[in-house]
Amino acid sequence: MSSRKLEPFTVVSVIGVSLAVLACAIPFWMIISGSFTSETKLATTGYSFLPDFDFTAYKMIFTGPAVLNAYMASLFITFVGTALSLAVTSGLSWVIARRVPGISRPLTIYSYLPMLFSGGLVPLYLLVTQYLHLQNSYFAVILPLLVMPFLVFVQVSAFRQLPESIFESAKIDGAGELRIFFTIALPLSKPILAVVGLFYAVHYWNDWFMALLFIDDVHKFPLPLVLQNLISNISFTAMLPQLAEAATPVYQLRLALTTVAIGPILLAYPFAQRYFVKGITLGATKG
Amino acid sequence: MAARKGWVVGLLALPAVVFFLVFNYLPMAGLVVAFKEFDVNLGIFDSPWNGLENFTYFLESGDAARILFNTLFLNVLFLGATLAAGIILAIMLNEIRSTFFKRVSQSVVFFPYFVSPVVISIILQVLLAGASGGGGAVNDALSGFGFPAVDWYTEPGPWPWILTVVKIWQLGGYLSVIFLAAITGIPEEVYEAGMIDGASRAQMAWRITLPLLKPTAAVLLVLGVGRIFYGDFGTIYAIIGDNGTLFDNTDVIDTYVFRALRQLGDFGTTAAIGLFQSVVGFILVVIAVLIQRKYSKETSIL
Repeated sequence: MSSRKLEPFTVVSVIGVSLAVLACAIPFWMIISGSFTSETKLATTGYSFLPDFDFTAYKMIFTGPAVLNAYMASLFITFVGTALSLAVTSGLSWVIARRVPGISRPLTIYSYLPMLFSGGLVPLYLLVTQYLHLQNSYFAVILPLLVMPFLVFVQVSAFRQLPESIFESAKIDGAGELRIFFTIALPLSKPILAVVGLFYAVHYWNDWFMALLFIDDVHKFPLPLVLQNLISNISFTAMLPQLAEAATPVYQLRLALTTVAIGPILLAYPFAQRYFVKGITLGATKG
Repeated sequence: MAARKGWVVGLLALPAVVFFLVFNYLPMAGLVVAFKEFDVNLGIFDSPWNGLENFTYFLESGDAARILFNTLFLNVLFLGATLAAGIILAIMLNEIRSTFFKRVSQSVVFFPYFVSPVVISIILQVLLAGASGGGGAVNDALSGFGFPAVDWYTEPGPWPWILTVVKIWQLGGYLSVIFLAAITGIPEEVYEAGMIDGASRAQMAWRITLPLLKPTAAVLLVLGVGRIFYGDFGTIYAIIGDNGTLFDNTDVIDTYVFRALRQLGDFGTTAAIGLFQSVVGFILVVIAVLIQRKYSKETSIL
């Protein structure tokens, strides 16, 4: 195979992929580099690829409570949301995967119908604000996103790959359905739970639409909303501590906050990525 | 016995059943707001009926044609461009022999999928507008080639294309993973046969890989068509926000509904638009699925 002569198409592919890699990596580098560049330098010479190690923006971020609060808000939404989503999705997927007569089939239709037809934004908004009274609660962000039908797909097909014989023998030993689920199926499904959990976690960590709709209290903003606020108006900077030197470095601050927001994803990515690949290929080929 | 077993297992699905009931099926019932003159104090069910007034109000407002066109136009652009980018990227990645280079590049191009639309919006600002308001990396590059700088955020013309590039950037790597998985599923003998016939790598990609990716592309296309009446709210609103000068080319149903809801508090009209969106979307999905079913039964999603 390696002795194959180098064909033009292979060369074109290597160049094409390299360009795609650069196009995906450079913007992030610019953000990170810019976050370490002083406001005045950003304004005069523009963004550069070499940072000049100016920590003004980070000092502002980490000395005040505002960003820390936003971080805690995002962490709460992500952890509690992911845990709830995993629990609810696993239960549903198991029942669908077990092919219980008279239950699994109707349940499948019941769960997938919302993918095709939805009430839209207005009824959801009225439901959350007028009837459930969840404004300014993080559950207003978590609950509407609780189940992603795509991930139900993924988990059903993973459950169906577990060997049936284990469940049969457990049953002979006297285990009930619930016991089989909790002590056999779930522990055997740790890898797929990691996949599905990661998808949910990213989903919650990045969400800003639900937060935008339902969280009005600036002190409760999760991270993406703080960032968005920093783009659309400068008011949020008023919550940050003022350093001795006059003006707030708005642009540098934006870049620093962006870096802070993508930080956890960037750190978790090397470990998480192979799970994601597994998840989407499972969903795409079996779905 | 079977019935009892079913009942116990069914308990595990109960939270999900309640979730769908409250957050999906109840809002469907809430769509009656579309036919009512909604009054917050009276609530959904006690507000007075007003027939089709909300629908006619929207259709006569002058915004309808523009928003419907934008939604369809942008989504067709996004769908076609991202699918094409995913396929091309997958085929090119498949050509790479070094496992290390292949793995690293796949990780890097997949990464943008994981960042929030808000982050994408900030990246775009870095590229299109500098800290001083003007400039930006793209303008710097343009002036390097002797082109005049463009004030991107006041110029609606190029935005459909800018947004398309953003979507490719965001989803190209993600889709390439799906297509690459499909390529791996192609039996090796097919390529060996191609090699014996003296086909070049390019010919094999064009004549073998590409046609065999069609079913996967078809499934993704059907899923995409179902979403064609939904603007990608998160991304578009994060990037455009309330920048009215760009609305002509970028305002889609979802962003319009959001603004109408938050700024005007017009529940009736916005619910009417939402209902319209859902019905048309539903019809489109059904048509797409039927067509796709006819075309390849084994990959049908229904």
